[in-house]
Amino acid sequence: MRISPLKSRLAAAGASFAGRCGVEICAKCAEIETEYRFVRDAAAVTDFSFMQTYRIPEAAAIDFLDTLLAGNVAKVRFGRMLHTFLADSNGFLVADCYVANNDDEFLLVCESLADDASMNEILQRHGAKDAGIEDLSQSHAVIGIDGYKAWAVVKELFGADVLGLPYLSIEKYPFESGTVRLVRAGKTSEFGYLLIVPNELAVPLYEKAAALAAAQGGGRIGVEVHNTLRLEGRFFNIFAEGAAVKDPLVLGLQWMIDFDKEAFDGRDAILDRRAKGVAEKIIGVRAGGGAEDFAPGAVLYDGAAQVGRIVASCYSHVLGARLGLALFPRDIAYAGLSFHLGKSDGAVVQTISMPPIMPKSLTVKLDEI
Amino acid sequence: MTPEAQEYIARRVSVINTFKDELIRRLNLPYTPDDLHEDVSLLGAGLGLDSLDALEIVLCVENCFGVKIPDENTSVLRSINTIVDFVLEQTARKEAA
Repeated sequence: MRISPLKSRLAAAGASFAGRCGVEICAKCAEIETEYRFVRDAAAVTDFSFMQTYRIPEAAAIDFLDTLLAGNVAKVRFGRMLHTFLADSNGFLVADCYVANNDDEFLLVCESLADDASMNEILQRHGAKDAGIEDLSQSHAVIGIDGYKAWAVVKELFGADVLGLPYLSIEKYPFESGTVRLVRAGKTSEFGYLLIVPNELAVPLYEKAAALAAAQGGGRIGVEVHNTLRLEGRFFNIFAEGAAVKDPLVLGLQWMIDFDKEAFDGRDAILDRRAKGVAEKIIGVRAGGGAEDFAPGAVLYDGAAQVGRIVASCYSHVLGARLGLALFPRDIAYAGLSFHLGKSDGAVVQTISMPPIMPKSLTVKLDEI
Repeated sequence: MTPEAQEYIARRVSVINTFKDELIRRLNLPYTPDDLHEDVSLLGAGLGLDSLDALEIVLCVENCFGVKIPDENTSVLRSINTIVDFVLEQTARKEAA
């Protein structure tokens, strides 16, 4: 199992750990609601080193990545990023990916259902050796800075220039004796940044970021609370609804696909399912009190008929309600309807429009700071 | 489904289909209406539309449904579903008046 270079520091701070797809993750650093408030009200630092990161020299990158991923890598401009996915030959999800065009290199940053060895096998099958791909997962840590005031933390770390970075962009910054690749790409609805840093600089950068986050009223958080933050913002979560459903068309990820591309892993299967029409779809659901069984796997009823199934859930501290995503037949997969949880007269579950929250970050204008 | 629920779905589907067709046409999006999940984020993440596209969406809603999205109400533009909610709510208000 791959272990984060931040492990000993996090363990000393009282964090708890868990395994996920062959990699150890820092699950929690504090109570979930405390961590949640850090992000929604201040700034939080997360160890995202479970992500798989690869560097591909510019010369071979476009050909290599374009035949691998569903999105159009050739359209990624210098300094910008593409959010797309990697599928298997059956067109089912393997990894949620960012591709960044960064100077003389492209970066592939993955949240994957496959372990490191399986990912390497997929990449080798596509000619990773000839493309000169370098696996940074072992040599670099990934640190996330998210929150309403995350911008203040990265500004202190790297200077005011950071505030001008648009969403889905990448830039390199010096830190101590090395270089940090900064990616602006959060999945919490608040400001978000990923710092890809060499292992030898990971601890000092993490500690400095954590201290700056604490100065904003925030602190360290684990990976677990991100399940809630993503669901509230309706950001795709491959470890929740992605793992439960796996079909990108049912999950509504068509926006990550370039259907005109001639080749990418799983293309034929995806196009075939698209042509036949998708029978099911996931939509947002919300429950009030008395819905204790509101959890993945729970069945939703319309009268006596079983019509839906919950695939992801969380408790929203902002809304004071349980939120989820549920799989329904396409003809009834609409916001504004009521169903019952677990039995025909169970607790009422309403289908809702997503995202259901208004993040405070939307009120901040970074170009006016 | 009760008759009321079926009637509600028909009303919602009508607004969704009109809006998606017009959105694809105006912004020249490389998708079919079925490709656009109603919860997909319109600005920034998801479809990644910019501020000029947002203006086009506001005009699209006004032309298609006779409903004006106030300048300060940017939260309406978060997804197709949030726009559809706004259109249905404003239309119901007009009918009740």
